[in-house]
Amino acid sequence: MTEIVKSRGVEVAARDVDVVTTGTFGAMCSSGVFLNFGHSDPPIKMEKVTLNGVEAYHGSAAVDAYLGATKMHPEKRFEYGGGHVIEDLVARREVELIASGYGTDCYPRKSVRTTIAIDDLNQAILCNPRNAYQRYNAATNGRDELVYTYMGKLLPNYGNATFSGSGELNPLTNDPDYETIGIGTKIFLGGGVGYVTGPGTQHDPTNRFGTLMVQGDLKKMNQKFLRGGTFTNYGTTLYVGLGVPIPILNEGLAKKTGISDEEIKTNLLDYGVPRRSRPIIKETDYAELKSGKLTLKDGTIPVKSLSSLKIAREVASTLKRWIEEGKFLLTSPQERLPVEGSLKPMKIIRETLFAQNIMVPAITCKPEEEIGTVARRIVEENVNHVVVVSPSGTLSGIVTSFDITRAVAMKESMLSNIMTHQVVTASPEEPVESCARKMKKHNISALPVIDAQRNILGIVTSERISRLYGEYQ
Amino acid sequence: MKVRLGFNKERTAKPIISSVILKTRAPINILRAEVDERGGEVLVEIPDEKAESAVAAFKQMGVDVQVGGFIEIVRERCIDCGHCITICPVSAISAKEDLTVILDQEKCVNCGACVDSCPTRAIEMLQ
Repeated sequence: MTEIVKSRGVEVAARDVDVVTTGTFGAMCSSGVFLNFGHSDPPIKMEKVTLNGVEAYHGSAAVDAYLGATKMHPEKRFEYGGGHVIEDLVARREVELIASGYGTDCYPRKSVRTTIAIDDLNQAILCNPRNAYQRYNAATNGRDELVYTYMGKLLPNYGNATFSGSGELNPLTNDPDYETIGIGTKIFLGGGVGYVTGPGTQHDPTNRFGTLMVQGDLKKMNQKFLRGGTFTNYGTTLYVGLGVPIPILNEGLAKKTGISDEEIKTNLLDYGVPRRSRPIIKETDYAELKSGKLTLKDGTIPVKSLSSLKIAREVASTLKRWIEEGKFLLTSPQERLPVEGSLKPMKIIRETLFAQNIMVPAITCKPEEEIGTVARRIVEENVNHVVVVSPSGTLSGIVTSFDITRAVAMKESMLSNIMTHQVVTASPEEPVESCARKMKKHNISALPVIDAQRNILGIVTSERISRLYGEYQ
Repeated sequence: MKVRLGFNKERTAKPIISSVILKTRAPINILRAEVDERGGEVLVEIPDEKAESAVAAFKQMGVDVQVGGFIEIVRERCIDCGHCITICPVSAISAKEDLTVILDQEKCVNCGACVDSCPTRAIEMLQ
């Protein structure tokens, strides 16, 4: 449509095109399935349910359960989770069901262990409370270490970038005022048919971050468009293929569906910063993101999608074929999606602590100082860490009381030979939880807090964090 | 040709690669080398015309020699997202015009960095 509008104009496009099909195929962590297993004899009221070892939510009727895509297997962790079980079900593989209950007068059975396949179930309904994000932030990592995030594996020092979404092929981007997409809109979902059931969670139309809530019959879906996924050290998920047909009812819709990737702007954020609001590195658009190269400062870095544009195109072309063959009829929505409203942050009643709130002044020394002098300072100041400061006042290294002990044992007299040069640090804005994670990961007990120029602002120690934990109890 | 050399504990201390170079006159390029308490593993590149004699020389010196590609993209599991392309340090992975992701065995140094980046675990490192 983008090409037709560009080359032949909106009027011709509105006259000649009846329907524009759209498509996405991305990781949808919010997705899951409602399952009804049918009753055993004697019947059981399930209290705990697992499918291939992955726990399903059972706070529902006796043999109903909800399996979420991100629930991980307790031992396999990131390698197998709810998303993978859903893929196994769709692929018509047998899945092991283990359930236990406490036994009631009407449902006396206390345990059941069996294997089921999707056709043994009464219902299997895919539910995805948030899909088709109009656009999404792109991600990179400014930290000096590798990070694993829900936006993929991000290399240190802006080594690569990732993004999600199909850009000009996205349903809501093609109908940004939700003229044709609303409650009851019939859609392509996971290779089968689904419906829009309302605005999605985190629907944020004011900022052009609209979403859809959708559901469909899992039994009629196809493994090709429904795939278990994993983001290492983050979690498991489910890739969901979704496509929405947009009828070209007027010239306005022809113009809107003619949107191109260049016009869809988004921000590249630093996912190395573990905060809700991540720093914006630059503004970009889907044309640049899809080009594979992102201009950053004076060079370029590789950028690729985490969702699959190739499968998104297959979604749109499959839906087009269904419509042409008369297998899929369009519906008009019963109610429109909200066009106003934005996202609220979580209400927090207890103060959140950051490195700057708990750091203490760092005891420092110069690189050329004698070990004996540094040892005396450790005793006088009653600390375990001394930060080594360069002549210009920036961070140069760190020495611990253990390093000093070792120096004495090895008869080493040069400070620069015993200090740690590659220091793991924290920024003043870093949450305490993130500081604790860093200390555990590197097996260390303190982090100097530095600013962007590497000036020393203070030090966060594990003793301080332990004391804090005590105060909270 | 890329060849993986496995050295046991006794052989890691010996100048085996340099001996083979001197003996066969093959300009061997070391792509990756790892040594630990159990032994060592080195990935080398040998020009095709010298490969046969060099491999024979390595085997003669008791080295465990493996030839061929070790990283593989399993087509049935790949969704062609392309995330691995941004991770590969030697640009061995790329996307074709139709967006299909492909691996160039010639360029791959088998570092394995791409393996845990794959959301559908479609990249396998063959041992």
